[in-house]
Order: sequence, then C-alpha cells, then structure tokens
Amino acid sequence: MSSAGRWAGGLAMAAALMWSLWSTDVSVRRLVEGAPFMLDFIHRMLPPDPSVLGQALHGALQTLQIALLGTSVAAVLAVPLALAAARNTAPRWLFYCTRSALNAFRAIDTLVYALFFVAAVGLGPFPGVLAVVVYTATVLAKLYSEAIEAMDPGPVEAVQAVGASRLQVLRWGVLPLLGPEFVSFTLYRFETNIRAAAVLGFVGGGGIGFYIQTYLRLLNYPAASTVLLVLIVMVMLVDFTSSRLRARLI
Amino acid sequence: MIRIRGLSKRYAGGAAALDGIDLDVQSGEFITLIGPSGAGKSTLLRCINGLVTPTAGEVVVDGEPVTGASREGLRAVRARVGFVFQHFNLLKRLSVLDNVRVGTLSRLGIWPSLMAHFPGTETERARRALRRVGLLELEDRRADTLSGGQQQRVGIARALVQEPRVLLADEPMSSLDPALSRSLMELLQYINREDGLTVIASLHVLDLAISYGGRIVGLRAGKIVHDGPPAAMTSSVADLIFGGARP
Repeated sequence: MSSAGRWAGGLAMAAALMWSLWSTDVSVRRLVEGAPFMLDFIHRMLPPDPSVLGQALHGALQTLQIALLGTSVAAVLAVPLALAAARNTAPRWLFYCTRSALNAFRAIDTLVYALFFVAAVGLGPFPGVLAVVVYTATVLAKLYSEAIEAMDPGPVEAVQAVGASRLQVLRWGVLPLLGPEFVSFTLYRFETNIRAAAVLGFVGGGGIGFYIQTYLRLLNYPAASTVLLVLIVMVMLVDFTSSRLRARLI
Repeated sequence: MIRIRGLSKRYAGGAAALDGIDLDVQSGEFITLIGPSGAGKSTLLRCINGLVTPTAGEVVVDGEPVTGASREGLRAVRARVGFVFQHFNLLKRLSVLDNVRVGTLSRLGIWPSLMAHFPGTETERARRALRRVGLLELEDRRADTLSGGQQQRVGIARALVQEPRVLLADEPMSSLDPALSRSLMELLQYINREDGLTVIASLHVLDLAISYGGRIVGLRAGKIVHDGPPAAMTSSVADLIFGGARP
C-alpha cells in the first residue's frame, strides 16, 4: 500500500473511533463516579448465600442439558446441510442457495432465536433447546462444509481403487478424514453453547440464567453470587474436559 | 491380461489426455510407462482400473470389461487390480495395519467392514503383506508418523493384500529420493517375479526404466510413441519421447 493510502486509512480509522466515542456517550467522569457503586455491588454479593446452592446446581444442570441436547441435534442436522453447502459435493445452484441461507440465519444470535421460540412454544428449557439447535446447526454446517471442501481426495480414491462399495468408501475413506474434525468442531461449539445457554434464562429459555436474573431483580445479591460461582465452575469444568478431548482427537 | 483398444480421454474443456491408445499386456510382464509429465501416463493407468472413465475405446482386464462395466463389475475388476499412488494416499490418522486392511474390503461383508471387524485370516494376510515390504514391526504406528519411503511401502502392502492379478503404480517414486526409488523398484520387481504379478509402473525418470523395465512403453501427448525392451531405448528414442528435453 502507498504511504498516502496508509495515511488515509489511519485517518479514517481515527475518525471512526472518535465518532463512536462521541455517539456512545463514553465518559471517564461517569466511570469514576460509578466506581463506588460497583464496589458496593460486589460488597453486597459477599458472602455468597449457600442456601440457594441446590437451585443453582439444578439450573446449571439444566443449562448443561440444553447445551448437550441442542448441540447434538444440531450436529446431526448440520451434516446434510454441510453437504449441500460444500462446493465439491453440491451442484452450483444448491451450493449458492444453502450458503446464502446459512449466512443469513447465522447473523441472528441464539438469544434472539430464544425470544422467538419462547413466543412460539412458551417458557422453559424447550424453547432454549430449539434456539441452540437452530443457531448451532448453521454454525456447524459452515464449519463442516469448509472441512469437506478442504478434504484430501487421495485417500478416498485409494479406498475406491481396492474395489470397496460406496458404504465402505464412506466408512474407510471419508469418515477417518472428516470424523475427528467434525467431532472437534462440535465439542468446541458445545463449550460455547454452555455460555450461550447460561443467558437463555434471561428471556424465559430455562437454565441457570433464570436464577441469575431472578435474584438480581429481587436484589438478593448473595444468592445471585452463589449462582454465578456455580456457573463459573461449570464453564471451567466443561472447557477443561472438552479441550482435552479435542487435543486427543486431531 | 490387459487389452486396450482405441482408448481416448478428453477432459472437459481441455486437450486430449489420451489419443487412440492400443496396448496388450501379457500375464506376468513388467512394464514401465515413461513420458514427460502431462503425457497421459496417470490417465492411462486410471482408465485400467476405472478410476477415470474414458471418452472412447475399450479396456479389458483379465477377461473382464472395464469400460461400460456396471458398478458391481467395476468393483470386481478393481478388487483384482492393485493401485499404488504417487502421493501414497494413506489414511493418515489410521494405523499402518488398518491402512493395509483397507485392501481386504472387497472380500468383506458390509457389517464387518462398517464395524471394523476384520476376520483373523485377513489380519494374517495383512501382516504377511507388511512383512514382505519389511514393515511388520510398525503395524501399530499411525500412518502419518512414517517416512515417505515407509508410507509408500504401506501403499504397496495395501495393494498386495488384495491378492491382485495386476499391480498398477502411478509414479510411485516421484515423492522419494533416488536411493529409496531404487529399493522400491527392486521391491516391485521382486513381487513381479515371486508372484508372477503383472506390473505396470509409470516413471518420469528414464534410467530407472532402463535398469528395471522388462518392457518400456513411451507415451507422448496421449499417444504411444515407443514400445520395446530396454535395449531398444536409444537416445534418439528418448528424444522422441521426451522431445529433446531429457530429464
């Protein structure tokens, strides 16, 4: 890039930052003034109230179940979607249709889907599961389809060359190449979905988020902090286990 | 063993890769197929086991037609034709033994093959093939932990375990250094003599063909321009095949 271009780019970036600073009412004074309230907030959360531990664990378990079920169903749905969204397995028209549709649906976050499904099927964990399924299916379909496109055709050709049937080619040519990658992507999405499912309760989608929101609204901060602690421990445990599994796969 | 008549292949939007090939291969022959890159060596080998469908012409392997064969017919032909690839084409994450056992799939029922339940006799065959290529002690290793020369030996074992009538090798040495190329050529020649297996190996290096080929077939621009014993490979013939640009 020319030095003039670099200057112009730098100026444009600086202008965009200034504009955003001004538009979002950023104020150091308000931050400083708010500091005592933040400290007060944290102070009131301590010590955590152990009497709600049972509820917190129940909520955490439900969040885990929403993420597990939602991710698993999405993983299954994503396979045919990915085949339809990969350049080397789908005809041109289908590839473009599926890719565009996936991009459009992926622009909407799980939480927005949850609002939609709560309105459609009522409160509780079920609309939460549906929201996780829809968003995760679009994300996994994208990841899977990219893996399909990047797949080395050589080993598949080799399995065909020994006189294997179509099913055998899938089992011994395609599965060893794509299986570990698909599982790894899915585990990664499961980790992210634990966080996504933890806030679904804010909009009536079940799980631990319901308790966080309820106790914050009731100004019962010691109870809210217990729930938050349980959430933190659960997320860390899932991240740890899942990332170790992923490391072993590839 | 192999009869090829009027074989032509034109890829979509490209020049002819093969242009009217006639070739007869007797059982037990050792043929080296030479020619510059793009001469059609790879396409010719792939037409013999049906990995490439020709535009015109006829291929018959061991009495079975390859061209125009049903899917079942094609599988039956492929089961009897071993294929060794330039880039090995192993399943990198699977063990050496599993890679070799892939060669037994055509004899395996659908259930056992889906469940990866190989009968003991097939595992024995796989081990015997590994012993022949000198890799028995590596059977539990992941394929991608092996060196290039070792990986190509696994590729050869995978073809041997099919107990084929014909072995096709598509530039099996081009990813390997010269010393390894010689030892692999010797391995192919040994298999050819020991089992009476018909071998066709394409090479882009002329001296390997002269040292090891029982019969040298020269391909240029999709046509056979030379066919004879190593003694007939004069420098003018080499010029004809490689167009003066000898490798």
